Amino acid sequence: MPDRMNRPVWRLLDTGTRRAAENMAMNRALLTGRQQNVSPDTIRFLAFEPSALLGYHQSAEQELNMARCHELGVAIQRRITGGGAIYMDQGQLGWELYLDRKAAGSAEMSVIARRVCEAAAGGLQQLGVPAAYRPRNDIEVNGRKISGTGGAFDGDALMYQGTLLIDLDVERMLSVLNIPAGKLSDKAIASARERVTSLSALLPELPSRQHIVEVLAMAITDAFGVTAEPGGLNAAEQALYEQALAEIDSPDWIDMVQKPAHDRPVLSAEHKFPAGLLRVNVAWDRQQERIRQVWFSGDVFVSPARTLVDLESHLRDTLADRMPEAVRTFFDGRQVDMLGLQPDDIAGLLRQALQQEETA
Amino acid sequence: MATVRGCNLPDDLYYNVDNNVWARREADGTLTIGMTAYACSLAGEIVSYTPKKTGKEIEQNKSVCTVESGKWVGPVKAPVTGEITATNPDVAAKPGTINADPYGSGWLVKMKPTNWDGDSAALVTGAAVASGFDAKMSADGFAGC
Repeated sequence: MPDRMNRPVWRLLDTGTRRAAENMAMNRALLTGRQQNVSPDTIRFLAFEPSALLGYHQSAEQELNMARCHELGVAIQRRITGGGAIYMDQGQLGWELYLDRKAAGSAEMSVIARRVCEAAAGGLQQLGVPAAYRPRNDIEVNGRKISGTGGAFDGDALMYQGTLLIDLDVERMLSVLNIPAGKLSDKAIASARERVTSLSALLPELPSRQHIVEVLAMAITDAFGVTAEPGGLNAAEQALYEQALAEIDSPDWIDMVQKPAHDRPVLSAEHKFPAGLLRVNVAWDRQQERIRQVWFSGDVFVSPARTLVDLESHLRDTLADRMPEAVRTFFDGRQVDMLGLQPDDIAGLLRQALQQEETA
Repeated sequence: MATVRGCNLPDDLYYNVDNNVWARREADGTLTIGMTAYACSLAGEIVSYTPKKTGKEIEQNKSVCTVESGKWVGPVKAPVTGEITATNPDVAAKPGTINADPYGSGWLVKMKPTNWDGDSAALVTGAAVASGFDAKMSADGFAGC
């Protein structure tokens, strides 16, 4: 056992299951509190009532099936962090760090992401899951994502957060998010299941929530050379929380970014190669001429099988005119067997999808 | 012109070093606000920009806009209190402009300051710029632009 005496102490804060607005307000309050030095360094665990969470700069019209959200009673909220829209419910355990930049050990996002994700992956390994960090922001198990993460800075205060999939309702997720997986179908569901996994899918017996919290907290605090002691909100944080909730639990916050759905179309192309059929769907940002998300499907032979999912991750937020170079960079120095399929063929198929935009 | 660890930091601008923002006083008394080359280097390529609305009064050290790079989001904070008089449509269309030209076409907002003489006491300019950023980069463990 490592010697944990005399280490710096973080607060361990477990806020249970809450509405999305309350969880987002807590994000803002604790990040501001850390920045104003009224909050201690903190590791927090949380869960959500069913919610669709937009990235800070996203619009609900573009990213969500809003009618379906209303029908299913899924709350729509905006995060204070960036990235893509996600679906959350009690099947996911959220974990968050609120740290001073010194405690984080770096001002560089990639350094912090690696350190935190490798620590969290170590915790999952202790639960019996062969988890590993996948740059930039994911933790995966054999190419399938089990935890997505991201962060925000406010001055010298850092918030770094992740979600651990304990159990995932893939069909519900696909029905509320406009993921470019194609129409909701058995194929799309199967294709999503190839990309994500969960503790319940991997472990014969699911550990209790409390046990998962303890193992993750220990793994992360050990990696930072600290310990954690349970605690609650202090009065200053409670005041910041109420102030943040008033702002966030309102249509003004949720609708802060409104962009028309037709400015983010899904463009598609497919081609039958000797290695099999390859289909690509691209979530396209018309205003910025930027690829937001790519989704490959089909029956093309690629070994290792995870290659195309890794390429999807590599191509996130790529400007259209940098796409061919980004595809080439991805394959440089990588050992991939694709039965004669070349990186340029994949770039060509992506170009074909984007050309639809020009002819539309 | 100051260059600190490879980062260009023009010494005729006014900086809040902790917040990594600059302000330029224009001839008509308004301010142009932007991110430093150092902030751009830390962030990497910026992919989204959402400014506060024109006409909004922003207090010193409160957010005038939020930028995102990859999954990294951060507020850009007003160097002084004032009213936002313009946001940058070119940056909204191509947020990478901030990285390409942080002191020129990559400006973030224009402001009409409420109390420049009082608020600007907290900012550094001229010879103090290089030493201020050098200290910050040391504290951040930053290798260079």
